[in-house]
Amino acid sequence: MKRRSVEAEARIENLKRFGACLAGGFVLALMVGTQEGTQQDFGYAFRQSVAMPRILIFLGIGVLLYLAITFGPRAKPYLTRPGLRPLGAGVLTVIISLTLLKWTDSPQINTGKFRPLADAAAPTQALDSLARLWFGSAFSQTAWLLLIIVTVLAAAGMIRRSAPLSYAAAILAGVLGIWAEYASAAVSKFLHYPSHATGGAVAMLGFFTIAVASLVSARSQAAEADTDGFIDRVLGWRPGLALVVLGFAVGLVGVFNAAWFSPGDRNATLSTTASMFGATNLNGFAQTYLDWLGFVLFFVTLVVAGVASYLRHRLLAYAAIVLGLVSTLLTLVVVHDFSALGGKQGFDGAQGAWDNLGTGAWMTCAALSLFAGAGYLVLKDLRIEAKGVRAGSDIVGSGTAGARGQVAAATMLVVIIAALFYPPTATEFWQTVLVSEIGIYVLLAIGLNVVVGWAGLLDLGFIAFYAIGSYTTAYFTGRLPVQPPDWLLLSPLACIPFAIAACLIAGVALGFPTLRLRGDYLAIVTLGFGEIIRVIANNANGFTNGPRGAFNIPAPQIHLGPIHLTWGDSALGFWYLLLVLIAIIVLLFNRLENSRLGRAWAAIREDEVAAQATGINTRNVKLLAFAIGASTSGVAGVFFASQVGSFTPENFVLNNSILVVAYVVFGGMGSLPGAMAGAAVLTWLPEFLKDQVPAEDRQMWIGALILVMMIFRPAGLIPARRRKAELSGLDRPSSAEATAVPAGEGM
Amino acid sequence: MSLLEVDDIEVRYGAIRALKGISFHVEEGEVVALLGANGAGKTTTQKTVSGMMRPSLGEIRFDGERIDGLPAHDLINLGICHVPEGRRVFPLMSVAENLEMGAFRFKRPDPQLLARCFEMFPRLKEREHQYAGTLSGGEQQMLAIARALMGKPRLLLLDEPSMGLAPLIVRQIFDIVREINSTGVTVLIVEQNAAQALGLANRGYVLETGEMVLSGTGKELLADDRIRAAYLGEEITT
Ligand SMILES: Nc1ncnc2c1ncn2[C@@H]1O[C@H](COP(=O)(O)OP(=O)(O)OP(=O)(O)O)[C@@H](O)[C@H]1O
Ligand SMILES: [Mg+2]
Repeated sequence: MKRRSVEAEARIENLKRFGACLAGGFVLALMVGTQEGTQQDFGYAFRQSVAMPRILIFLGIGVLLYLAITFGPRAKPYLTRPGLRPLGAGVLTVIISLTLLKWTDSPQINTGKFRPLADAAAPTQALDSLARLWFGSAFSQTAWLLLIIVTVLAAAGMIRRSAPLSYAAAILAGVLGIWAEYASAAVSKFLHYPSHATGGAVAMLGFFTIAVASLVSARSQAAEADTDGFIDRVLGWRPGLALVVLGFAVGLVGVFNAAWFSPGDRNATLSTTASMFGATNLNGFAQTYLDWLGFVLFFVTLVVAGVASYLRHRLLAYAAIVLGLVSTLLTLVVVHDFSALGGKQGFDGAQGAWDNLGTGAWMTCAALSLFAGAGYLVLKDLRIEAKGVRAGSDIVGSGTAGARGQVAAATMLVVIIAALFYPPTATEFWQTVLVSEIGIYVLLAIGLNVVVGWAGLLDLGFIAFYAIGSYTTAYFTGRLPVQPPDWLLLSPLACIPFAIAACLIAGVALGFPTLRLRGDYLAIVTLGFGEIIRVIANNANGFTNGPRGAFNIPAPQIHLGPIHLTWGDSALGFWYLLLVLIAIIVLLFNRLENSRLGRAWAAIREDEVAAQATGINTRNVKLLAFAIGASTSGVAGVFFASQVGSFTPENFVLNNSILVVAYVVFGGMGSLPGAMAGAAVLTWLPEFLKDQVPAEDRQMWIGALILVMMIFRPAGLIPARRRKAELSGLDRPSSAEATAVPAGEGM
Repeated sequence: MSLLEVDDIEVRYGAIRALKGISFHVEEGEVVALLGANGAGKTTTQKTVSGMMRPSLGEIRFDGERIDGLPAHDLINLGICHVPEGRRVFPLMSVAENLEMGAFRFKRPDPQLLARCFEMFPRLKEREHQYAGTLSGGEQQMLAIARALMGKPRLLLLDEPSMGLAPLIVRQIFDIVREINSTGVTVLIVEQNAAQALGLANRGYVLETGEMVLSGTGKELLADDRIRAAYLGEEITT
């Protein structure tokens, strides 16, 4: 009797769960569906959303969810098999490339995504049959079918722990990867369209990941994957080796395959560029470089860096650094020389120095710098080891701490190198996005991180200082109704000190009366401050030119003795200027975090009374946080004003303040790299999604990403050490030796 | 001349007069206990001495110099270190970092002093790299005291160091206070634990709703009927 009721209850429970999952799918269908309706027909959106074939997909998702919840626990032991996670990542990558990414930029194919491209390419006789087969000349969904086959094969190999199956899957995945890239390249060639589309390459990466996952599974004896610190271990094995490999891959493409010079409709690789200039009077060195020196430099540096990394050899590491940096520089000189000469020689379509360049030279530069970076990592590793030995080996003993440092340093180097050499190869659209979205918001996030992340003061009016910086620039360049005296008319970059001063004063003026307030009260006051500044800007016609704002602000110029630098129409120039500003500020702030002031901020954030008791002047220290954050924002304002040339009070709305806070939180409050990464990702994503999803869905995807992030990484993208500890309830010890705390007598 | 002289100070929280004109003094090298019921104004007294609050009337002199109205971060430079009520450690800093913060007024912490602190509190040495927030209550209190010591105090203000601790640990804490005092640090201690505080103290004062009602040597106060009734829970039999 009793037993029966338990069973019945379980069945009812099950039914309920099923119903809930279906309802979830239904709601999802409504959310993702069209959101438009008309006055006459309110039910339009609803009917569209539940229109027959669509609703089935979403109900299907519901059923899948139900199955996952119900049978998930039973599948658990299989989910930890070695290789299964990488397999998931690989499959997901391929799916993304087949659905979200563009496979071509050519306007002939309507959205450039896989589906329309495949439809167009499959029947095209001029394309070779292997490529056509990939696009479905025999069976319309060939790519998908192959993906499913290889996935099932790989998964079966892993779950049944059968090496032959896994090997088969690995081989198949490898072939598919090459095939996908081959087909994509064939299309580019056929369409004669220089392509920035990533679909084919990403599909290849995805398939290769599947292949590696299967190989791992085939060769692994273990029943369970050892995922703990996996990446740390891989990168920690030989310091810098990851960078050497990356540099090798990038450099191969750069040296042998990619275009170095592409005036008119030519696409010359390194060796064809050499023959192009063979008949001209290109200076001897540049010609030698193009002829053979370029290849030699690349391979020599590669070998030196590789050996230095493998042997952890100090001298070789120095050699790799010097070689890498010098040959990067030489490459740049050569590129400048031949592109300038190309303009003079009147090659068809050649415009002069730094123009008409392909991606090759930049990729080569990136590769050479990566080798130098590898050398640096080797030295760093040796230094840590030396220190550890001296300090009684408590750093080296733990091992993983060193490895983790390696990961951070390697990532940082890759980011820096990408920031230097990627932008010239990007389209004009992305160059503009880099400057006016990503770069500026990174700068703002760095500033706000001081206030919110380090000092723990929630500032919702941060954009006000940005406005003050912009208006200061407009004033000192004489573009406001009120004019400075003639002798004080400045070029925009010279406004930076004044903008900093103005923001310092404004920061102190706001902070002095309000910093006694805590938490939410401070947030509201700062929010009010931001709005006041905007409203003043909007209404003080005689001073700020009201809603029309300031315009014709000149672009920055530097005239220092023999150096003359001017910025103008190309976004690229502004990008490098911004990079210099960011680098200076990051270097300064990096010191700041571990300085006395930084420790004082940390103390105040954690316990203000205790901070006071240890003799910290809490008021001044908080004021300083405010002022420093504000002046960073002011610098961003100067840059913004002189880059866009004109702005209105509408550029400084509350929404922007809130966005910056969101970036900092998303990236990791209190962590400098985190705040920067957060701003970069969240400003890049909307622009990226522009091409990938319908415009009205964009915010939804971003919202979903933020939600997922906050669930799985609540401390942010790159969490600050302290904040991570706070959120994980302090239960993780701060270092390896703390786990070995003697039991003590217990309190 | 006394090390600390408090002369008829009045302290207000808005309209509330928390201290209604109290006077006392602490001699160099003494341990002085401040007793009183909840809400009598003991914490307020200590905060005023350490500069976290200002008196609205009256004078405070340290070493003969007037210090009332000076902020806490100036007073700590004179050697007045405060261990505030309720074990306020920095939870997300390691034990070692907490101790470094205690020496904030110096350019860098004195390594010998650090070693002495760890000697005095071996438990803290064992937990040097642990987050302070994960320490037990007693360990946190020890850390709070050690952190104040890192500021090289001449006058150490302790606010209820035994609050919420097991009797064994309370005894340890009091032993440590005695040891600190024996190195020449003057101590002004606030305690509910009257018997132990008076056993340790040279002299004591009793506060009641913002007024000083009793004073005397530790022994005198321990013998006083009113004290015994109010703090030691004994019936007055006479
Ligand atoms: N921030 C404040 N605002 C208003 N009144 C306060 C404030 N802080 C303390 N008081 C009041 O001042 C009086 C003295 O408080 P104080 O904290 O000094 O007492 P105490 O003797 O330390 O008590 P306890 O033994 O409970 O710690 C109390 O009546 C209290 O309510
Ligand atoms: Mg108290």
